[in-house]
Amino acid sequence: MILLQLFMIAAGLAATAGFYRLINGPTRTDRVIGLDLLFGVAIVFSLIAAWISQSTVYLDVAIGLALTGIAATLSWARLIQEQTAQEHDREKAP
Amino acid sequence: MLLAWLLAILAILTLLVAALGVVRLPDALSRQHAATKAATLAVTMFALALILAALLSGWGWGWTLRLLVMVVILLCVLPLASHALGRAGLAESGGTGQGSRNQ
Repeated sequence: MILLQLFMIAAGLAATAGFYRLINGPTRTDRVIGLDLLFGVAIVFSLIAAWISQSTVYLDVAIGLALTGIAATLSWARLIQEQTAQEHDREKAP
Repeated sequence: MLLAWLLAILAILTLLVAALGVVRLPDALSRQHAATKAATLAVTMFALALILAALLSGWGWGWTLRLLVMVVILLCVLPLASHALGRAGLAESGGTGQGSRNQ
């Protein structure tokens, strides 16, 4: 049980790294990378919570988090790509 | 049970390595490489550790089924997301794949 609490602290450190990259990433892609890492850390958090409390409710939370994180990353990536292409065209135009 | 704890410790260490890579690597593409692959490996290994713990402790088959569904979803759809993110990072860092290669 003490080991599970240590896991919680380590996952909190990883979440700190994700928040750092989310707040002051130089580019927009860096912020989405931080968001991706945060979703992974959230999945690990809910798995640890399931292990501690021994109830399967948190596993459903983890499945939902996985689906939401993948959809969020895909849509942000498409948005960034289209926006960058638009800015590129605007720079090229006279 | 020892194997399950060992897998969980390895998963948490991999997650910390992914976090370190996200903080310390110099480039957006290399940061994405660290975050996506190492974090996916960490989540998958932690799910396998939880499957082992649930099987060895006799907590029922609902655990195994749900965790397997989660791992299959992650491993099937996460390469798509990371590919799209990599394309976005490549387009944003200047060397896009769409026509500006001959600058």
